[in-house]
Amino acid sequence: MTELTKVVMRLDGVAEAHRLDVYEANGGYKALRKVLGEMKPQEVIDEVKASGLRGKGGAGFPAGLKWSFVPQDHPGPKYLACNADEGEPGTFKDRWIIENNPHQMIEGCIICAYAVGLSHIYVYCRGEFYEGKRKIEQAAKEAYEKGYLGDNILGSGFSTHLTVHTGAGSYECGEETALLTSLEGGRGHPKIKPPFPASEGAWRKPTVINNVETLATVPAVISQGARWHAGMGTEKSKGIKMVCVSGHVERPGIYEVEFGVPISAIINDLAGGVWQGRQIKGYFPGGSSTPVLPAEKVDVPYDYESIAEAGSMLGSGALIVFDSETDIVRMAEVITRFYAWESCGKCTPCREGTRWMLQIYERILNGGGRMEDLELLLSICDNLEFKSFCPFGDAAVSVVRSTVSLYRDEYEEYIREHKVYRRRFTPVKH
Amino acid sequence: MTVSVQLHPELRKWVEERLSRYPTRRSLLVPTLIQAQKYHDYASPGLMQAVADLLQMPASEVMSVASFYTLIAKHPVGKHIIQVCHNVSCYLRGCDEVIARLEERLGCKVGETTEDGKFTLITVECLAACGSAPVMMVDEKLYENVRPDQIGRILAEAN
Ligand SMILES: Cc1cc2nc3c(=O)[nH]c(=O)nc-3n(C[C@H](O)[C@H](O)[C@H](O)COP(=O)(O)O)c2cc1C
Ligand code: SF4
Ligand code: FES
Repeated sequence: MTELTKVVMRLDGVAEAHRLDVYEANGGYKALRKVLGEMKPQEVIDEVKASGLRGKGGAGFPAGLKWSFVPQDHPGPKYLACNADEGEPGTFKDRWIIENNPHQMIEGCIICAYAVGLSHIYVYCRGEFYEGKRKIEQAAKEAYEKGYLGDNILGSGFSTHLTVHTGAGSYECGEETALLTSLEGGRGHPKIKPPFPASEGAWRKPTVINNVETLATVPAVISQGARWHAGMGTEKSKGIKMVCVSGHVERPGIYEVEFGVPISAIINDLAGGVWQGRQIKGYFPGGSSTPVLPAEKVDVPYDYESIAEAGSMLGSGALIVFDSETDIVRMAEVITRFYAWESCGKCTPCREGTRWMLQIYERILNGGGRMEDLELLLSICDNLEFKSFCPFGDAAVSVVRSTVSLYRDEYEEYIREHKVYRRRFTPVKH
Repeated sequence: MTVSVQLHPELRKWVEERLSRYPTRRSLLVPTLIQAQKYHDYASPGLMQAVADLLQMPASEVMSVASFYTLIAKHPVGKHIIQVCHNVSCYLRGCDEVIARLEERLGCKVGETTEDGKFTLITVECLAACGSAPVMMVDEKLYENVRPDQIGRILAEAN
């Protein structure tokens, strides 16, 4: 039986864990006291590096390494942007952290700010997280009152501030440089890299951008040590991950596990298996941006390297399972519409390509598809991937290319038989 | 030229309290437009002109930014906003039936406002609640594991 390893979720089930007194009674802010009292900033960075902690927002970039890129001697302000924009379809872990244990995220933010010398923390929070924003704001207020935030934190001489900033409904604003443009008051368009945010980020000052889950793991890494963290998971994917399981399973939910457990174990042991006694047809290992893997690949170990080898990506940790009855073409249309409508419009391949792909899907589902459409879809994918300004364009092709190659017969059936998908409603862009 | 409307004093206060937290005034643009909807019906051209004046930036830029974000209403909307997710996990668990039932009960289509002005129905992308799909929001309240037969009760609750 696969075991849960609750680290970020260690207070799952503890009543009122979002309150400062409850968090403190459970060891909260001990890690912050430890770094301020006993550790030099460089030692904190080294500890996080040694722990092998990788970013949980999608790319899996080593957190300590990212922190070390920020110039130590830079004059003037430096910033932390905590990415709480959680928009990747299938992902719902950051909302859980924010609503249930916001102090753990805040403590991680302050430790990062101390290690890198950051004067202000901006928590960029999805606009739709009304409850989440209230929870972070309340927690930040408590932390200020207790002297964990503000000037001269706990008498250490270190100062940093925290502001909750709201997004307004845009998936692209989760991309780190688009997030910065949005924070600066612009349309959510990404910026060219280099310069990387670590040297020139928000308001052209050095900026660290980390995901909520990444930052919420930091207090445990400090309290229990790099060696403890590095001892979990696999050689290259160290530690734990909150896996969001959704779709056709009996018990959808968030399951925090060590990297390396078989995906089938997560689906069957933890999420109760495929619903209604049906068979699995395939799954997205890391959200709608990651290529679909077929049922035969369900025993792949859950870690970055194994999933990459299987032809997909671990992404943000969103395991979306679909059963044997699923209409693949319609599912791919749902996701393609999402990319077409959320494309920020800055670059041509993505702005145009995603819309063309959507039109082709609509044509096929309306019974007017042509066999050449499949090659056309694949050729649009080729013109989008690695030719777009930001990784959004690459993400948009994942579902198209993987489903056309894995389930081509279903596309062909739609086209050959002029099958019409009976729509229950017509979505409208707003 | 658009005549700017009088900003609600509470909104002005809200902005002024936050200015010191940012290196530039315009950084507060998106949060201000979101907050403004608590006091003003929607982001009308007059409201955007007033926000532009307050943040000392051109109104055309305010409009450009506002047009990018879906949570900023550029047209009059109903008293309550219903946001129903139509993304993949919700699709897999039956959101299409929920949306169809919403249209039926409200007597309006996705993207429209009911004749009495009470509800605006929109479909939205993943609300980060896929573990309890299908989901919808009425204003700030999230409803999870929604079944079509619950729609009547949910709408009555908002009324
Ligand atoms: C289109 C797009 C959307 C993204 N959305 C998010 C998001 O909602 N939350 C997030 O943490 N990272 C998101 N990312 C990844 C960020 O760009 C960035 O890699 C991440 O926040 C870095 O934090 P980490 O190193 O702690 O993972 C997105 C990336 C892309 C390309
Ligand atoms: S790929 Fe281009 S159009 Fe698409 S989101 Fe990125 S910058 Fe915008
Ligand atoms: S897909 Fe509907 S909440 Fe995520």
